[in-house]
Parts: sequence; structure tokens; C-alpha cells
Amino acid sequence: MDIDDILASVDRGAGASSASTAIDHQLLTRFWVAERAVSEVLPWPTALMERMMDRVRWQIETIEDLAASSSDAPDPSSKSNNATLNLRLSILQTDLARTQFLIRSVLRTRLAKLSKHSMHYLVLLSSRSTNPSATQSQTQPSQSSMDTSTATNTRPEDSVPDISSVTDLSPLSEAEAQFLHTHQSLLASHYAGSFMGAFPMNLRRLDDNAGGTSMVQGPENREVVFVRCLGGEVPVIVAAAAAEEDAIDIGVTMRMGDVWVVRWEGVRDAWERGEVELL
Amino acid sequence: MSYYDVDSILTDAQKLPCTFELEVPGLGILEGNPGEDIKAGTRMDLPLWLGEMLSIGARLGTSRLVTLDMPDALSERVMNALKADPRTVDLRALAPHFYSLSERILEIFEEEEMVDVLSDTFKKRAAEIADHAHNPRGAVGDGVDFLRGLDETERQLFRSAHDRAKEMRIWSGEAKRK
Amino acid sequence: MAFPHPRGIIPSEIAFLAEMEMVTVVPRQRLEGLELLGGPIEPLVPPRRASLPLWLALLLKRQRRANIIPPAWLHPDPLGLILEVESQHQDYKNAFSPPPPLPGQPSVQDRAALEPIARPQYTPDGDRYYPSPPFLAQNTAQASTSARDMPALPFHWVEVGNMLLDAASDDLVDPDQTRRLLKDLREVRMAKMRSGVDVLDAAATGGGGVALTGVGAMEVGEERGFVAGVVNGLRKIGASKEQARREAMAEQRANGGYDGTQDDEEEDYMEF
Repeated sequence: MDIDDILASVDRGAGASSASTAIDHQLLTRFWVAERAVSEVLPWPTALMERMMDRVRWQIETIEDLAASSSDAPDPSSKSNNATLNLRLSILQTDLARTQFLIRSVLRTRLAKLSKHSMHYLVLLSSRSTNPSATQSQTQPSQSSMDTSTATNTRPEDSVPDISSVTDLSPLSEAEAQFLHTHQSLLASHYAGSFMGAFPMNLRRLDDNAGGTSMVQGPENREVVFVRCLGGEVPVIVAAAAAEEDAIDIGVTMRMGDVWVVRWEGVRDAWERGEVELL
Repeated sequence: MSYYDVDSILTDAQKLPCTFELEVPGLGILEGNPGEDIKAGTRMDLPLWLGEMLSIGARLGTSRLVTLDMPDALSERVMNALKADPRTVDLRALAPHFYSLSERILEIFEEEEMVDVLSDTFKKRAAEIADHAHNPRGAVGDGVDFLRGLDETERQLFRSAHDRAKEMRIWSGEAKRK
Repeated sequence: MAFPHPRGIIPSEIAFLAEMEMVTVVPRQRLEGLELLGGPIEPLVPPRRASLPLWLALLLKRQRRANIIPPAWLHPDPLGLILEVESQHQDYKNAFSPPPPLPGQPSVQDRAALEPIARPQYTPDGDRYYPSPPFLAQNTAQASTSARDMPALPFHWVEVGNMLLDAASDDLVDPDQTRRLLKDLREVRMAKMRSGVDVLDAAATGGGGVALTGVGAMEVGEERGFVAGVVNGLRKIGASKEQARREAMAEQRANGGYDGTQDDEEEDYMEF
């Protein structure tokens, strides 16, 4: 046990009560179902995941301690005790494995989405960057590379936005942001080495949008999802014609307990407020 | 159109009847006559992406290079057949990416009635697809012909319905018992 | 990074979710309470009834350490009634029978007169949280509602029914008849789902949607890919028409030519 764990265990406080354990588990479960249901990466629930990871760590220790105590005391008189000990161990282990499955599935789903839409999320994050060189690489696409005759901006790696100075990583966790940048950089240099290096200078970017088709592909938020309405009444709301920025179209109204097939973009805000759940 | 989507690339490669409005020097290669000119009034089938690009002048109101026509797959005759009975039309023979092509065509031509006919066709055929997909013995009889005539969008629909139905049977133990 | 599954949880994952439903057991041996990651487990003291998550109840049942008391709905009488409603009742010709109410939701009979009152719990982060299946007691022995209420199929009826028939059929009343009724129910409801293709264009436009209230988790899982595929297809075919409609509306608005009712609606939303 290292010092952080000891401090954490002293500091369990609110997160350690049984009621919040149960609610957190329900929240994790609901989040897993939601993450599996949509094609965008949902906002990383930092506090919840920290509490869950702490609990998983404690539970592993509990199980190890219990397992050690069973092998320490080969006392024949406690045979019946040992039988329930084994039962308790198998219950604790099953419970642990189930929770670990949820966490792994959430992480793998998110990594799959990040890999699929890597440039989209890098561009999204770097647009918040305060570092001018990072925004530059993203706001000046292909043209700049066509004009310059020098060797700058002509390697696929150069089109991977720099997110090192970005502080708001939403919807990603810190580890995910790191993965995203490292993964895309590796991929870009692999492309450069294997085939893109042989392309003409102006065809070596990964964020080109010449010809009206962008190479940066984002998730499709117009896809439909199955939702259950949990609040009293929840309307489906989508942005109106692109000409007006604030204009909205109000669609059907869902009532508590209803299950609807609707566009994800129309219920996303209500989902963030917890008034609908994804199925 | 989506950059990395193979179906969307293949859709853009489908051909469309085009008529040249102007004489174009040296473009005879399109007709198989390299070095020759293309005369005004020449009709030929060009891939959607090329035809659309050459016709852009038409939409800007300046002199246009070519005018586009409806592809055979979306002709009046086909629309009438779809209105009569959508299930008996072999969409795959008309165009392997029939619906994706329609989508692109409807971006270019304003054809409200065609939208209605195609929506109705898609729904009626989808219901039929669902029935076949849930049949654990696979396609039988007329079904074989119908399924052979599915376009790419419909094939994906069939695959997803079929896979889920199969997963379901495996979970509930029906598939193993058989 | 390969993740082989399509969008939306698949049947085996839906069953995993259903195993979190609480069921009632009669333990056959003692076991002290346990602090699990899913929440605390009460001590087991035979013959006192206890509520356990289904996965644990099944684990104990397979080792003959407990018997499971089936949920009230998993019995030939209520299932027969529900089947009758699903297949004969005029109101439910094209809809599923109503699901058990959520906390704060009036029962079916009172729904016209009473407004639902959402009763949130609060998460450790202070956000509102409305519990829903599998975290409502819809499958415990006590779950039977008042006598005048129609019996209802819980969200995870297919999975819970199937798993209990598999592992605990000796705890059920007339398991063969129950199995037959579950199969009939599945068929009647699948047919409804299938015939619903006709109305799916309602979900293909911006703020539109199709109601499937009463649908079960496994039924969603089975039809998700198909329904989403049909709606996406219809959306793409209709895209040009929707664009034209929206542009016309925007133009109308820009000319100040839209009526006041729409204004009111938007204000309602803002207050909300």
C-alpha cells in the first residue's frame, strides 16, 4: 500500500457510505449503457470514475486479505467457517469481475470512438488552445502548405494539432487526451514512412478539405437512439435551419415513463440533466 | 459524402447521362478519342463526381459546361414500377448503391414526389427484409430473389437485423439446441 | 484498437444488465452481510426472505444454498391476462401493454387525472438522479402492486423470465405453462414491433419521434440496429425535402410571418 492509498483510505468520507456505493454503481451502469448507445464520446465523469477506481482498489485488497486469512489458518475446527469463507470469496470476486467488466467496456468503447474520430477530437480540443502555433495548424489548412515551398507543414505529422497547452479536455479524461495525441502522432508518422512521404507536398495533410470533402470525420449526432423519459415532461429539441443561430425547433414531448426513438441531438441536453436515459 | 466511406466513394463513381453545352478542346479522351475535341451537344455517361463538377456553372448561373439528366435507375419507368409494387423491383440491378445514389441525385434535382416514392419503397421493403432476417432457416422460395435484389443500404439493414436475431437465439439457447 | 461490438448493448450485455435486478430469495444457509461494489448485501438468515441481485441469487440457487421466490408477474395468471391485453384489447392493438410505473408516476388508471411527480435522489456529486430499471424493485416477490392494478411486464421481462426458467424452474408455479406464455407474448409483441416500420418516418425528421413505451430491454436490443437503419435511411432519402421545409420556415420567421403560438412554445422552453 503506498502513501496515496493510505491517505485515500483515511479520507474515504462521503464516498464510502453504502448508499453512495450503490448509487455510484447505478450511475456507472447507466453511463456504460449510454456510452455504448451513441457514436460520440460522452463527457468523462471524472469524480464518479475516481470513486469507482478507489473502491475497486480497496475491494481487491479486501479480497486478498480474506484469501490470505483462509490459507493462514488451516484449523480443522473452523471447517464450516471455511466453507462460507470460500463462498464469500467467490461472491466478492464475482462482484469485482462484474464491475471491472463495466469499467473496461466503457474504456474500450471510448478508445474505439477516439481512434475512429481521432482528428475530429484533436481539432476540437486544439480549438480551445491558447498556444497560437497550435491553432494555426488547424485554421490554416491545405492552402498554407500549397503556397510554401519550404519543408514546413508538409509532413502528415504536421497536421496533428498540438494539444499540450489545452486545459479543458472535455469530453476526454487526461489519459484519453494523451492517448489520442500520441496515437495520432504515431499513426501520422507511420503513414509518412509507408506511403504519404511519396505524395506531392500538398497532398500530405490529414486535415485537408479540398474538393469540399473534409478528411476530418466526426461522430453522427443525427442518428436515432432509444430513450426513456425520467423527468415529468421532456420536449425533443433540435437546432432550426442553420441561418439563425439561436433558433430551435421543438418536436414531440415525452412524458415520464415513455420510451421513444428520437434523434440523439434532440435529447442530448436532457440526457446531461439526467431527465432521459439511453437504453 | 464521407471521406473514408467506401460506399460513398463507390456511389460517386456511378454514372449519370450528361450533355455537353460547349465545345471543349482536347477532352475527347472521355469519348475514347484522345487528342480530339468534344463537340457541343455530345451526350455521354460521366461519373457522378465529374458530372456534378462540370455542371456547377449551371447552378451559379454562368455558362455551364454540361447539363445533367436523371440516371436510368431513377427514371419515370422505375418510379412507376416502384409505385406499383416496390417488392418486385430488383434494385441491385438498377444500381448497387441505389439509395445512396438517389440521395445524391436529390441534392442536385428538386424532386419532391421522388422523395415520397422512395421513402415508401424503402419502408415497404424494410418490413419484408425484417421478416426474412428473423427467419432462422434463411431465405426460402421467393425470398431468395427478393434478397438478391437488395441494394447495399438494404443489405446492411438485413445483416444487422439478421445478426441481432441470431445473437438473441444464441443467448436464449435456441440456437444451440437446434 | 479493436472493439468488435456495434452501437448499443447486445443481447449478452443486456442479460448482464438484467442480472442486476433485485429478486427475493429464501436462504438455506446463513451468510454474513457483505459490502459489494454494487452496494451492501444484507445478512442471510434462514428462513428469512432477503433481496439479492439476480446474479447472486442464481449463484446461490445453483449451489442449492437458496431458493428464489419468483416475481409476482412470472406466473401463468398474470401472464395470461397480459397476453390477452396485448392480443385482444383495442387500445393496445399497435402498442405494448403499459409497463410498471416509475417512482412518482401515477398508475395507468390515474394517469389522465394526476400529473407525474418526478422524485429525484441525489448523487454523491449533488446531481439529480432518477432511478430506473434494473434498479427498481420490479422483480421482487413484494413487487405486486395494489390489487386493482393490471399486472405489468417489467423492462427486463424476457431476460429475468428466461434465466429463472433455466436455473430455478423448480421454484416456479407451472414452469411449462409459464414458458409457453412467455413465448406467445414474445411473438405477439415482435409482430407489433415489425408492423411499426410504417410509422418510423416520424422519427426521421428533426424533432420527431416514435413512441415504444412498454418495450422490453431485450426487444430494444433485438430491433435497435434495424430500427436505427430504417430511420437513417429515411432521413437520408428525405434530407432534401427536410432542408427545403426548414429553409421555408426560417424564411417565414425572418419575415416576421410566423404566428404567436410558436413564440409561446419557445418561451415555455426557456422557463423550463
